[in-house]
Amino acid sequence: MTIVEYFSFLPYGKYAFYVWLAYGVSAITVITLFISAKRDHKKALLSLKNKYSRS
Amino acid sequence: MWKWIQRQSSPKFFYQTCTNLTPWFFWPFIGFLVVGLYWSLVVSPADYQQGDGYRIIFVHVPSAILSMMVYAIMAIAGGIGLIWQIKMAEVVAKVSAPIGATFTIIALTSGAIWGKPMWGAWWVWDARLTSELILLFLYLAYMSLNSAFDNPRTAAKSSSILAIVGLVNLPIIHYSVKWWNTLHQGYSVGTGGLKDPDMQIALALMFVASIFLYVLLVVIKAKTEVLIREQNSRWVQDEVKGVTL
Repeated sequence: MTIVEYFSFLPYGKYAFYVWLAYGVSAITVITLFISAKRDHKKALLSLKNKYSRS
Repeated sequence: MWKWIQRQSSPKFFYQTCTNLTPWFFWPFIGFLVVGLYWSLVVSPADYQQGDGYRIIFVHVPSAILSMMVYAIMAIAGGIGLIWQIKMAEVVAKVSAPIGATFTIIALTSGAIWGKPMWGAWWVWDARLTSELILLFLYLAYMSLNSAFDNPRTAAKSSSILAIVGLVNLPIIHYSVKWWNTLHQGYSVGTGGLKDPDMQIALALMFVASIFLYVLLVVIKAKTEVLIREQNSRWVQDEVKGVTL
């Protein structure tokens, strides 16, 4: 049984593996970018806060 | 008019505008995304040739259009920074690069995943695919050139010139399916493209969602960039002290 057949129980049957893989990869990429942008902003605020409290 | 532009482009005002605008981009993005996904995955009928496999189009085409649009915005913003010395245009250009590169990666991977069931191959050295891969390399070159300088102004100058030269690639990507006999299918938008109205609506919704996503990410990333660039100014110190983490 191939991986494509294994996932054929999902909606879209024989294309299910490809469709959900494409949507999944895109979602993960966007979420990663979003979280990293938020984290970078927090990091910048934190490091500036440290810098100002030292001076 | 000129005064208004100057006020808009002062770092402090820019930062505050970004903060105020964030929810105005976040919620429309979520709204368009949810409705767009529903339209893409449920409402749209199966394709007569590609069955349900064509549904990858709803992530593939918007991200591919955005990958080119963001590049154009990046080059234009870089050009504005070069000509009128507007620092905030340099910021917009710089933060657009990783976002555009991400859209390019999404377009390339979703295209590869679509290519496997339809063409039987993840990748072919077709004109469309190759020129889009070059776009990704242009983004990466821009980002590495930009981070190679300590002075942000010098970095913006040299990388903007690279971005403007790279604009040549955009028409090549767009017309590649016409100029060459490609395995990649023709235009999805306009004549000869998607004909079913539900498919068109789904694609339009996902496209609008992608635009909101791009602007939202620019707004978040630009704030970080402005803080770092302006860290020696009074208002940044006040801003940072006011924030509780």
